[in-house]
Amino acid sequence: MKKLLLLAIVLRILVSMFLFHPDIKTFNYQASFLKKGVFNIYNYLVENKKSLPLKDGFVYFPLTYIALGGYQAIVSPLFGNGFDSWLADAGVNSFVKNPQIFKYLILLKFPYLVLDIAIAFLLMEFFENKENKKKAFVYWLFNPFTIFIIYAFSNVDIFPVILTVLAFLMLKKQKLFAAGLLLGLASGFKLYPLLFIPFLFLAGRSLKEKLVLCLTPIITFCLIVLPFISPAFFQSALVSGLTTGIFASDFATLALAILFFYAAIIDGGDKDHKKTDLFNYWLALFLIIFSFALFHIQWLLWLAPFLVILAIKKPVLSRLILVLGLLAFAVPLLYQDRSMTISLFRVYSTWFDMLPIPFTFIQKIYDPDNLQTVIHSVLAGGSMVMTYKIFKENN
Amino acid sequence: MKKLIWLTTLLILFIVFFVPAFLALGIKLIPNGDQPGYRPDQRLSIYGKRDVTQKFISSAGNLSAIGTSVRNPNLKNKKDIVLSLYNEKMEMVRTVTINGQNVEDGNFIKFIFDPILDSTNKTYFFSLGSPDAGPEETIEVFVSQNMPVWIEQYVYDDKSYQGGLPIVLYFKPVSKVTVIKSIYLDLFSRLLNTPSR
Repeated sequence: MKKLLLLAIVLRILVSMFLFHPDIKTFNYQASFLKKGVFNIYNYLVENKKSLPLKDGFVYFPLTYIALGGYQAIVSPLFGNGFDSWLADAGVNSFVKNPQIFKYLILLKFPYLVLDIAIAFLLMEFFENKENKKKAFVYWLFNPFTIFIIYAFSNVDIFPVILTVLAFLMLKKQKLFAAGLLLGLASGFKLYPLLFIPFLFLAGRSLKEKLVLCLTPIITFCLIVLPFISPAFFQSALVSGLTTGIFASDFATLALAILFFYAAIIDGGDKDHKKTDLFNYWLALFLIIFSFALFHIQWLLWLAPFLVILAIKKPVLSRLILVLGLLAFAVPLLYQDRSMTISLFRVYSTWFDMLPIPFTFIQKIYDPDNLQTVIHSVLAGGSMVMTYKIFKENN
Repeated sequence: MKKLIWLTTLLILFIVFFVPAFLALGIKLIPNGDQPGYRPDQRLSIYGKRDVTQKFISSAGNLSAIGTSVRNPNLKNKKDIVLSLYNEKMEMVRTVTINGQNVEDGNFIKFIFDPILDSTNKTYFFSLGSPDAGPEETIEVFVSQNMPVWIEQYVYDDKSYQGGLPIVLYFKPVSKVTVIKSIYLDLFSRLLNTPSR
C-alpha cells in the first residue's frame, strides 16, 4: 500500500509540473489578493479592472477564493519573490518560459494532491471488506481520468468533491446534519451540490429530517456568500456560464425534472423509504447533466469518486463506466479551445502553438461539432442505460 | 488491479516524456521568438499605393514565413494583400498574396513562402500592401520605435523611421530530430535553471 501510494504521488507530481492549464494561473492570481488584505474579490476585480494586468472576473464561489488565497498566504515563503509577478504576467509566452514554473505548478497543485490522496482513503470507508477497500484505493489513485482532470486541467473542483464524498459518508452513518453542512460547504466552493436538495427533501423520513437535510446546506451556503453579496458577485459567480451552464440545455432541464418527479412519485410514495437511495440519485443527476449539457471537463470530477464506488459495488457496470468515461473525456477535447489539448504542453515549448488542435485537424475530414454531437448522443444513451440499470437493480 | 496500475503508470510516463516528442514531429516552422510588444494606438493604414516597407535581419537559415498582426476594420478589405520580400540588393526573392476576406480584424497573419536556405544573418526588406484596396477597404498594421535590433527600420509615405512592425520570423527546421532535441534541451535547461536558447 505504501509503495502504491508513493507511485501514485510520483505520477501526480510529474503531471503537475509538466502539464499546464492557464486557469490555474488566472484563479491563483485572483486569489493572491487575499494575502494583500482584499476580502471581497468580486468587487475588487470589477473596481480595479482597468489597472489590473489580467481582467477576468472571479467566477468561483467565495470558499475557493479563501482556500486558495489562504494556502498562498501560508506557503508564500516557498513560492519566493518572483511568484506574484509571475501570476500577474499577462504576456503570451513569458510565464511558461519562466524556469520557476515547475516549482510554481507543483506548489500550486499541492493542495489538490493532499485532497486527492484523502479521497482515496475516504473511499475505502465506504466498504467493509479489505478487498473492496483496496479496490477503492487503487481505482481512485490509478485511473488516468482523475489524474488528468485534477492535475493537467488544474481542477479546483477537488475542494467541493472531497466535501461531497464526506457528505455521503455522513449520510451512510445517518449523520444528517453533518451531511447537510458538508454539502453546504461544498456549495460555498461551487454551486452544483445544491442541485441535490430536492432529492434530499424526498429522502427525509420525517418532516424534521427533511428540514435538516434541505435547510442545512442552504443556510450554510447563504452564510458563506452573504458577506460577498454585491452586483459584482452576481455577475461574476452566480450567473456566470460556469454556474448556469447546466440549465443552458432544455434537454438537461427536462431530464432532471423527470428524475425529480420519478423520485417524488416512486420513492416519495414508499412510506418506509426502503427504496430511496441518494447515492443512485446523485449518480443519475450528474449522468443526466453530462449527457445533455455542454459540460466543462472539470465537471467530470464531481461524479468520479462515486463511479469508483459504483464500479466496486456493481462490477458488471465497470466496463460501461470505462466506455462512458472515455466518451465524456473525448467531448471537451473536441472543443475549439487550445488549452484543452495542445496548449497543455506549452511548458515544454511554445513552438507547439504552431500545431493544429484536434478540432482543426478533424475539420479537414468531418465537422467536429457534428462529431461532438454524435459522441454526446452515445454518451447520453450509455448514461441512460446505466441509470436504468442502477435503479432496476436497486428495485 | 495490477493491470490498471501498470497501464496508468505507463500511460502517464508516455504522456509526460514521449508525447511532446511526437507533437514536435508536427512542427513545420520554428519562430525566432515572441512577437515584440506594440501599442495598439500606433498604426499605419495600408491601401492602394500606400504600403509599408520593413527592413530586418534574418537570424537563421531557411527563412520560411513572416508573421504580424493585421487589422481589417469591419472586415471590409476583401482584396489581395501582398507581401513582397527583397534581398539587400532590392531584388525580389519571394512574394505572397492572401485575400483580405481571410483576415479577421486584429489577427496574427503568417505570410508563408518557400524557404530561403541561406538567409542566416542577411538583411531583407519586405513591402506589405493591398494595391487594389480603396480608402474604405484599408487594412492596418501596428508599428513601434522600440523594436528589437533585428527589426531595423521601416518606410511609410516615403519617410524612414526607426523600428517597425511587430513581426515574427519563421524558419523551416533542418530536421525533425533537431526540433525534438531543441525542445528537450530547452526544457532541461529550464528545469536545471540554466541559461537556455
